[in-house]
Amino acid sequence: MNEEALLARASEERERIFQRYERGRDNLAGQIDPWEDPEFEDYHKTDRYGFIHDERLTQKTAPQKVNVEVEREKKWVKMLGSWESAATKEKLHRRIYKGIPNSLRIKIWCKLLNVNTIKSENPGKYQEMLKLAKQWSTDVRQIDSDVNRQFREHQFYRERYSEKQCSLFNVLCAYSMYNSEVGYCQGMSGLAGVLLMYMDEEDAFWALAILLSDKKYAMHGLYVEGFPKLTRFLEHHDKILTKFMPKLKLHFDKFGLDAILYSLKWFFVCFVERVPFSLCLRVWDIYLLDGERVITAMAYTILKLHKKAIMKLNDMDLIVNYIQVKLHKDFGFEDDVVIYNLERSMEELKRAKLDYPGPPPPSELPQRQLGMFIEPDKKSKIGQRAENFSETEKQARATVILRREKAALDLQELRVSQSDTVSGNLEILEASPPTSRTSSDVSLSSDQFTHL
Amino acid sequence: MATNRSGAAQRPNGAPQTKVCQFKLVLLGESAVGKSSLVLRFVKGQFHEYQESTIGAAFLTQTLCLDDTTVKFEIWDTAGQERYHSLAPMYYRGAQAAIVVYDITNQDTFGRAKNWVKELQRQASPSIVIALAGNKSDLAAKRMVEFEEAQAYADENGLLFMETSAKTAMNVNDIFLAIANKLPKSESVGGGAAGGARRLNDADAPRSSSCCK
Repeated sequence: MNEEALLARASEERERIFQRYERGRDNLAGQIDPWEDPEFEDYHKTDRYGFIHDERLTQKTAPQKVNVEVEREKKWVKMLGSWESAATKEKLHRRIYKGIPNSLRIKIWCKLLNVNTIKSENPGKYQEMLKLAKQWSTDVRQIDSDVNRQFREHQFYRERYSEKQCSLFNVLCAYSMYNSEVGYCQGMSGLAGVLLMYMDEEDAFWALAILLSDKKYAMHGLYVEGFPKLTRFLEHHDKILTKFMPKLKLHFDKFGLDAILYSLKWFFVCFVERVPFSLCLRVWDIYLLDGERVITAMAYTILKLHKKAIMKLNDMDLIVNYIQVKLHKDFGFEDDVVIYNLERSMEELKRAKLDYPGPPPPSELPQRQLGMFIEPDKKSKIGQRAENFSETEKQARATVILRREKAALDLQELRVSQSDTVSGNLEILEASPPTSRTSSDVSLSSDQFTHL
Repeated sequence: MATNRSGAAQRPNGAPQTKVCQFKLVLLGESAVGKSSLVLRFVKGQFHEYQESTIGAAFLTQTLCLDDTTVKFEIWDTAGQERYHSLAPMYYRGAQAAIVVYDITNQDTFGRAKNWVKELQRQASPSIVIALAGNKSDLAAKRMVEFEEAQAYADENGLLFMETSAKTAMNVNDIFLAIANKLPKSESVGGGAAGGARRLNDADAPRSSSCCK
């Protein structure tokens, strides 16, 4: 196909996808493919957060817990009436660590993120971005395919083209225009999906915008090309492990288990689908209050609480499964216990001056003005992939490779130093010998390691 | 040749212990071509119409019994969005096998698959076994990539090739099996060559996974 035909094809596709979301579920009767719309059977049960489970729920919320939450609600409603007062400021921290009553999350989250301020400063902006997206967004196909599979077990998202699915699609499309450096990156559908469980469409858009660009959260650096913030936070995470849990770190290293392999979703979507949803919301409450250091401390807390169990697992798949799957299904500790430990971790890390890896460098923050329209180039309009890596990507790639090779080298050294005491056991552990292959773009000089 | 679903290395008929080889396998390909679905079908025998999108990568294992060898695959299933491409070396470095997946109903994904093959040929281990999977073969009515075209490309590049369907399970076990058969089952323990399998001693053979599954 020539370029014109490709352009026409891309714009037709965009229009077709947009049309379906605009018409919505009710007007698409008979036009939704069966595979897009699985039937949920009657015996499925919905939990208090809207997730539909395969089996009858065994754990009903205990009545005394409900009573406590009702009592808390009263206090929170009162506090909402005098949000700016000194008394509120004094109580807020303690109350949020106890958990925001679920019925009030919609209000409190907006307050913590200052959604109303940014919204009133930008009247009409959301609609403008959505309109631009309809004409220009080059991320529509990816967003469409992710909306179709995000939180499908949740009552809001279970039906194809349901109201909330449409909102999720709109928010992500609009944001892809608002922040032209990030556009849409996989993972953001999880963030927006959670926000939309509590907010309407426009509020969720602005909440997402704040999570990415406000320095307190600075998630822009996680999603932008090359993932610079991810690298920086993973290094910091490793530092914490080395200092506080060296044995566990060694255990991971023995199996070639880099932190990136088990913790990506912790950082990218703040523990969504990595811990039970009730606990995830508690962590989000605190994250919205205290910002990015909460993620660092929670990552530490998870490993601290489960260190003993993980040390007993002698296989990479068992460890990864435990951290990614088992802990999502059943964390093994009451939410309150975890939050108590999270708070202790934050204090502990602060004392060791390891609570915060430092403010984001400019490369992790938006460089271009947000909300300013930039026409995409032809290649992205057609949906063509870049032939070569950009400089940022090359750098990210080199960092990733070096991380891996350094871990392998460390392990080799470890083997040498332990060869007297450790029997054949280590022999089977993988460390692909870093020097057996030459890679064209990475050399293993020691000064390169210093940027790691 | 049956897939050993339990993940145990012990052969059910009580035959003498065979050698156990462990291989690292990575799945690459454009977003939404069905990488995670292929793995889910192979490892758990299931299919989810709305398989959630993979952020970063997912990790699973599965064991196959060949005549005289038990092959344990450590499978890294990667995210398809281009943005995540720069993290891919993390997963394919040191891999002995790769499955590059495209969607037979989408020509662009085939072009993308070719780029992945090129990258693996340049950057991965020289002895890596690469298989090309044309997935969603149950949607043959919407086919945009001809079987012969893909077969010719695979032949030129020395790739294993099959059209698969994670939905109907067609050729899913077969493609993993074909890879297992092609991989060298070297005798050397903890071998230095990047392409070699890790031979596990009997005592170290992977235990059946009793928890966390």
